[in-house]
Amino acid sequence: MSDWGWVALAYGVTYGSLGVFAASIAVRIRNARRALGETE
Amino acid sequence: MPQQTRVRRWPWVAIALSLATALTFALVSPPDDTQGDLVRIMYVHVPAAWLAYLAFFVTFIGSVAYLLTRHLRWDRIAAASAEIGVYFTGLAIALGMIWAKPTWGVWWTWDARLTLTAIMFFVYLGYLALRRTTDDPVARANRSAVLGIVGAVQIPLVHFSVVWWRTLHQPPSIIKPDGPAIQDPMMLVALIVGVLAFTVVYVSLMVERIELIHLEDQRNAFERIADQSVAGDSVTAPDLGGSS
Repeated sequence: MSDWGWVALAYGVTYGSLGVFAASIAVRIRNARRALGETE
Repeated sequence: MPQQTRVRRWPWVAIALSLATALTFALVSPPDDTQGDLVRIMYVHVPAAWLAYLAFFVTFIGSVAYLLTRHLRWDRIAAASAEIGVYFTGLAIALGMIWAKPTWGVWWTWDARLTLTAIMFFVYLGYLALRRTTDDPVARANRSAVLGIVGAVQIPLVHFSVVWWRTLHQPPSIIKPDGPAIQDPMMLVALIVGVLAFTVVYVSLMVERIELIHLEDQRNAFERIADQSVAGDSVTAPDLGGSS
């Protein structure tokens, strides 16, 4: 693999995993808010 | 009644802007004389490792503050930071492996820095597992605070491992007694921008993660109250003391 291929892999892993991690927090917050709304 | 909180947009905007800025600086910085374009991996690997240190240090501070004040707000800060720290440690390890393969010729080696970082990763995974052993917020905070304090011993061990032992991993790039090892100003700027951008990401994720723990604690408290009101006085706790 070329140098740019390794760089692309590294940035893909970084930005992809950050996106998934941030989205998981956002979804869990939304679900927790809904659950609390149902409790009310 | 649970206290409903406002939906915030700024953390997500801050994350997107800071990551776009970091990517721009990383791409326009010049290639290295020896590593060529592979050096661009440094602009995400070093910030990820720095964030792991910062996150676990905040866990340490939150754990100490909880034991001193017994206020659960500090426990939430410690827990939120530990989860984000585990993520960034895993990311730093993954990026290190991607960088190691084309430069060292191997994905992994049992070098002091790599091994200690892996141990730190698993210790804080244990911290997160420990928090799931009980729903009682006070017992959970007490147990995890102890591990949050003990685990912080690893932060200086990991950082100074490249100084104290002979390792394949390169020594510190920026924080050195004789000045930064990186001489090209554009490369240094790209690295500093990367570190600042990832710090903004960390702060933004912390705000949201603390909010999530707060909401989950509220939900657990309501579920406990609901269970008690159903059971009433007809259910008594069994004696588990084991005395004859």
